[in-house]
Amino acid sequence: MTYSKGTTASATFILCCLVSSARLLVDAPSASRLKNFPDKVGQRSDQRFAALKAVLPERGVVGYIGEPGAPALGDYYLTQYALAPLVVDHSANHSLVIGNFSNSIPSEPPPHLHLKKSFGEGVFLFATEATTQRTTSR
Amino acid sequence: MMSLLAALLCLACGFLLVCLGWPQLRPTFSDYLFIASLSVGVGLGVFSMVFFLSLLLDTARFLLVDFVVLALFLIAFFGMRIQRAAVSLVMPVEQISEMRTWYGRLVMTGFAIALGCALYAAAMRLWAYPHGDGWDAFSIWNLRARFLFLGGAHWRDGFTASLPWSHPDYPLLLPAAIAHFWVYLGHDAPAVPAVIGFLFTFSTVALLFAALSLFRGRTPAMLGAIALLATPSFIEQGTSQYADVPLSFFILASIALLCIHDGLAQSELARSDSPQEDRKQTARGPGLLALAGLAAGFAAWTKNEGLLFLCAMLLARLVTVARCGPLGRDWFSGVRQIAPLALAAVPALLLIAGFKHFIAPPGDLFSASASPLHKLLEPARYWAILQWYVKGFFRFGRWLLLPGSLLLVGYYFAAGKEKYAEPQAGIRMSSLALALTLAGYFAVYLVTPYDIFWHLRFSLTRLFLQLWPSSIFLFFLLVKWSEAKDSLAELRRNAPDHA
Repeated sequence: MTYSKGTTASATFILCCLVSSARLLVDAPSASRLKNFPDKVGQRSDQRFAALKAVLPERGVVGYIGEPGAPALGDYYLTQYALAPLVVDHSANHSLVIGNFSNSIPSEPPPHLHLKKSFGEGVFLFATEATTQRTTSR
Repeated sequence: MMSLLAALLCLACGFLLVCLGWPQLRPTFSDYLFIASLSVGVGLGVFSMVFFLSLLLDTARFLLVDFVVLALFLIAFFGMRIQRAAVSLVMPVEQISEMRTWYGRLVMTGFAIALGCALYAAAMRLWAYPHGDGWDAFSIWNLRARFLFLGGAHWRDGFTASLPWSHPDYPLLLPAAIAHFWVYLGHDAPAVPAVIGFLFTFSTVALLFAALSLFRGRTPAMLGAIALLATPSFIEQGTSQYADVPLSFFILASIALLCIHDGLAQSELARSDSPQEDRKQTARGPGLLALAGLAAGFAAWTKNEGLLFLCAMLLARLVTVARCGPLGRDWFSGVRQIAPLALAAVPALLLIAGFKHFIAPPGDLFSASASPLHKLLEPARYWAILQWYVKGFFRFGRWLLLPGSLLLVGYYFAAGKEKYAEPQAGIRMSSLALALTLAGYFAVYLVTPYDIFWHLRFSLTRLFLQLWPSSIFLFFLLVKWSEAKDSLAELRRNAPDHA
């Protein structure tokens, strides 16, 4: 039995491709692990900010303060994802400011902000003094 | 129930639009598969555009709008079906019963294994990462979809310059299609973007298979599909809810449709002698050209790179029509080879122009205050990009042991190049379009305002992936296939039962 170059090439090609298919299988999350596989994005966004979202206005712009450094930017993106269509600006210069920290409030929050409410697990709502006074007088 | 209605409306719109451009249904599996897989992407594109236009026109009656659009497509479909002459889509495929040989069985088994692995991995990934895997899914595409759906009358809030990291200038095919489905469901279910990602991934595979099957037969089609299914990053990106795989779908659709059109025109021209006959025959195919333009338009509505591809494709078409005699024997027929293509892309282009001008803030790439021109004079930047291109060529698929790109090169040298009787205008044009797109990516890296290495590191592999399905398609059109067929014939002769 003789094989042409084309046939041999095709057979080799298929075998080599299937090696990479094996990688897909190995790298895929296994079925046994999926039962306890945490939905990290959902946990860090929708679930984490559900209580806060209920007290925020439906739309508009709010500020944001969080842990320093580039790695913490992901937390900010997830906050925006959870609170859309509210725009979350990474700045403390707003009447309402969301605090998103790993556990407790930082030792030195911006001086013009006052803690309005803590939602646990490092999620806080700050307001400027003027906003707090307006809310109190009502 | 409402999700089923939305899916049916979306598919029906896509199916009717594809059938409007398709010359005639031929009762073969490949034709139906091509139309079905193309209908998925076209339907989602139409759904996206209709939703965005409804937002612009401030109408909340999406169901009514969808039914009106469907009714219009139905009227056009039946109207054109009556007027259209019957055309036979005969592609130069030599049909042989390859599947009955050991070789055919080997290819089919390989295909089944690759498909099974890809389906399993995709399903597990969708289950594990319902919001997508990677930042772009929720910081760009799904975030924008939430702004469109949850924003109500204030949907423009999401396109603020305060969120530059979310790229509010990116086109909206995916976000608007997702938001359209959410309107039917009544809430922002994460399953919708996940299913859309899954559909685009496997529709691309089906489209590649069907297109290759139309040209070369089932076995090369399976080989092409295996090459794509066994590209781990393709399956991973597709189920990560990024826009690169949907873009690759539309690029492949556009290129495959152009190759089908040109292949058809060439085979018809070869049979006709008189110029009068030439005009009559080539007039049969504007529908395919229009579908190719529509797909390219959807590519531009998916990602900014799609806009680059659209320009590259139109330029390549212009060059090919000007140079290749058989497709344009006179000026008039030359115009007819370009006009349907360009005109079909106009709705998407108008939508993009309106979006970029009136709604989106300026993009990040060209809004830097310093002029990027001085970067063009830095040889070190050219060298860096070239090095990354070479590295990326071997790495972008995340293959194991042997890169798929290298496998294709090896296969080409082993099997040889197909010798066509006439120059294949469609293959030439498509190759030129892909080369121009790659050159365009190169130029963008040259002038990028970001750190060039950071930019290359986080985007180049995805850019290569966008062109990968089309490259596989063109590769299997170029590579010689008769060797395998010869061997099949020989094997049949040597088989004991044959004697």
